[in-house]
Amino acid sequence: MSLVILDAFTQENAIEKALKNLLEKTGKRFFYFKLNEMKILPCRSCGACEIKSPGKCVFHDDMPEIMRAIAPGSLILMLTPVRFGGYSSQLKKVLDKLMILVLPLYTVKDGHLLHPPRYGKKSLLIIGLTGENLPGEEENFRLLAARNALNLQFTHKTLLFAPTDPMAKIEEEIEGALCEVRPG
Amino acid sequence: MNRKQLVLFNGSPRKAKTSYVFARAMKELAEEKGHKAEIIHIIEYFDEEKPFDALKSIILPQDILGLITPLYVDTLPYPVIWFLEKLACDLTDELKGKEFFAVAQCGFPDTDLLYPLLESCRYFAKTVEMKWLGGLGYGGGALIDGTPLEKLGRKGKKIFSVFSFALDDIVEGKSISPRVQDLLSIKIPRILYRPLAAFLNYRKKREAHLHGVSVADLTRRTYLESKVGRS
Repeated sequence: MSLVILDAFTQENAIEKALKNLLEKTGKRFFYFKLNEMKILPCRSCGACEIKSPGKCVFHDDMPEIMRAIAPGSLILMLTPVRFGGYSSQLKKVLDKLMILVLPLYTVKDGHLLHPPRYGKKSLLIIGLTGENLPGEEENFRLLAARNALNLQFTHKTLLFAPTDPMAKIEEEIEGALCEVRPG
Repeated sequence: MNRKQLVLFNGSPRKAKTSYVFARAMKELAEEKGHKAEIIHIIEYFDEEKPFDALKSIILPQDILGLITPLYVDTLPYPVIWFLEKLACDLTDELKGKEFFAVAQCGFPDTDLLYPLLESCRYFAKTVEMKWLGGLGYGGGALIDGTPLEKLGRKGKKIFSVFSFALDDIVEGKSISPRVQDLLSIKIPRILYRPLAAFLNYRKKREAHLHGVSVADLTRRTYLESKVGRS
């Protein structure tokens, strides 16, 4: 199982440390992308990746590097602070451009109108770091993650941690989740 | 009548498309009702065509801020999240106590898809201590594709009248009535999804064919083709 990590944190935090400890221990093969250090241009919704240049953005940035890791991979792990009950802009800059993971065609599955996956089924593990969030923000974050997984037709799991959570707990939960999520 | 001042932020990176059409309709209606309104394109600040600092003097005199935005990958587009993060970081004093609402639109005619986006707008408002007036969702924005509402016949008139009802609440500082959302919602029965998928696939393949693109090209797995993927 190859793992692609999209890290949207801009400051040191316990989740990043726990994940790095865990990866060192398990010796899993992974690609690690620190998103705030990458040049990712915003999706302009120009539609070129659908027909003019199928499956590829026509704007030149660092997305091909990420896509070359994701396309053959089986698990995408996203790390983000919870912002307004959703993702931070650092994660969203990549997510907006991941629609090339699906085809510009439609299929109906389990009563949902969806796009078929371009690179087969994968799994998504989304980890959020809560801050001084308002009641309900965590539920919205989980709903958003579930919607993303549904639209990409990926299996998924969401984990949320507070800054005060002990490192051992974070490591244990991430380890459990990595075993649990598998492409369906 | 208490004359209000509104700023409407267009969240679409495409400045003349459906979100702008909606913002323009809102601006016209607000002005007809005797209020003052202006439209700001978020992408101009994201692209640094305009300095973010200039927003301070734009926001200060406003009573009401509105965000009109498309749905990208189940929530707000990246430039909009960037903008809200920056507002929450740099302009909290200017925002505090003002009123905020959002209008979101997505391609598929199902307004339930807009729920996480509108909730994020509500959390933003609460975070910066603005008064949340509520959100409106429109499903089927892709079919409008930037066409002015006045050219859309009955559909355009309906959207105008729904926005007018919403504005009546907004300028009075009241939460947008749930009845207004009901008027705007369209729900396609699930039984029609399969014929709809077949129609959309036919349309997409025909469009591809017109551009000289085959179905095999459309479904290409570019990033598994090492040479092509490495530009």
